[in-house]
Amino acid sequence: MKHRKRGLVLWAAAVLVLLAGALLAGSPGRSENVQEAMRDAVLHSVNRISLFGLKEVNPGMISAFLVTGALLLAAAVVRLFVIPRFQYMPGRFQMVLEQAVGMFDGMARNSSPHRFRFVGAYIFAAGAFIFVGTLFELLGLQAVTVHGHPITLPAPLSDVNAAIAMGTLSYLVILSGGVAANGMKGVGRTLKEFSLPISMSFRLFGALLSGLLVTELVYYYVNLSFVLPVVVGVLFTLLHALIQTYVLTMLVSMYYGEVSEPAPKNKKIHTVQK
Amino acid sequence: MPLNIDWQQILLHWMNLAILTGGLYFLLYKPVKDFMAKREAHYRSLDEEAAAKLAEAERIKAECQAKLDGADEEIRQMKARVQQAAQKSAEEQLAQAHGQARQIVAHAQAEAEHSRERVLKESQRELRKLAAQATRKLAFHADPFDQFLDLAEEGEEYEE
Repeated sequence: MKHRKRGLVLWAAAVLVLLAGALLAGSPGRSENVQEAMRDAVLHSVNRISLFGLKEVNPGMISAFLVTGALLLAAAVVRLFVIPRFQYMPGRFQMVLEQAVGMFDGMARNSSPHRFRFVGAYIFAAGAFIFVGTLFELLGLQAVTVHGHPITLPAPLSDVNAAIAMGTLSYLVILSGGVAANGMKGVGRTLKEFSLPISMSFRLFGALLSGLLVTELVYYYVNLSFVLPVVVGVLFTLLHALIQTYVLTMLVSMYYGEVSEPAPKNKKIHTVQK
Repeated sequence: MPLNIDWQQILLHWMNLAILTGGLYFLLYKPVKDFMAKREAHYRSLDEEAAAKLAEAERIKAECQAKLDGADEEIRQMKARVQQAAQKSAEEQLAQAHGQARQIVAHAQAEAEHSRERVLKESQRELRKLAAQATRKLAFHADPFDQFLDLAEEGEEYEE
C-alpha cells in the first residue's frame, strides 16, 4: 500500500515537472506560420523529401514506401514462421489472420460472386495499406526535408497523389473485372461509372487530409497539446482507418461485382402465328 | 498541376501498390486461404465420413428393424401354431374323454341291466320257491285252524 502511494506521488511529480519544463522551455520559433503549415500539408510544395537523391517527392511517398516495406516484412515473417505452424484449432494470432483474410475474401465473394479471386486479393492489399497507412501517422516518424527541416511523416493517403493513385488503380481493377467477364460490354459498364475514380480518390484524400489538418492544428499550439491529441488521435486516425478501409474495399468489390456480372442472354421470343 | 498533382509520383504509388498487392497475395493472402481451404476440406471429409457412417448405421438399423419385424411375425406364427396344436390336443383329449365316458356309461348301463335281470330272475326264482313251499304246505298240512285248536287242547291238558 505504501509502495503504491509512493509510486503515485512520484508519477504525479514527474508529470508536473515535465509540464512545467515544457511551458518554461517555450518554442524555439517556427519556420512557418499555421497557414503555411496547413497549406503545405495539402499541397506539399515546400516540405519535400529526396528519394534516394533521384527525385524530390512528397512525404506521403516515403510514408507509402515505408508502409509497404513494413507490411511486406511482416507478411514475410508471418509466412516463414507463423503459417507453417498453423493448427486446425487456431490460436489467437492465427484467428486474427484468418479473420482478416476471411473478411476480405467473404466481402469479395458476396459482392462479386461470379469473379472474386483477383478482387479479393486486391481489396485485401488495399485494405491493409489504407488501415496501416492511416495508423502510420500515429508513430510520428521523422524525416528531413530537402531544406533541412525535420518533418513528421504523414499518412500516405493524405498525399493527393497517393489518393489519386489508389482511386485510379481501384478503377482500373474494376475495369479489368468488366473486361475479363464481359469484354467490351464490361468496358462500357465500367465507363458508365466515370466519376468513380474521382470520387474514390478525393473521398480518401479528403478524409485523411481532414485528420491530418486537425492534428496539425492541434499540435501547432502548445496549449492544445495536452489530452486533446488522444481524442483527436482516436477520432481522426483509428476511426478513419476503419471507415476508409471499409468504404474503399466495399466500393471496389461492389462495383467489380456489378461490372463482372455475366450479361443476361437475350431469349428469342417465338410468337405463334395463328 | 493544380493541387501539386504529380503523375510521376502517381505512377510510383501505382508501382508501390502493385508490389504490395502481389507481395501480400503470395506471402499472406494465398497461404492463409489455402490453409483455410485445406482445413475446410479436412472437416468436410470428416463430415462426409460421419455422414457415410451415419447412413451405414441407419441401414444396419433398418435391417435390424426388418429382422425384428420378421422375428415378431415368426413369433406370432409360431404362437398361432402352438395355440392350434394345443387346441387340437385339447379337442382330442376331450373327444377321448367323451368316448371313455360313453363307454363307461354303456358299461354301467349293461351292468345295471344285467343286475336287474339277475335280481329279477332271483326274485322270480324266490317267488317260485315260496309258491312251491306254500303249495306244499297247503297240500301236505291240516287246516291251520284245526292245528290251532289241537294245540290249544294240548295246552289245557298240561294245565291240569
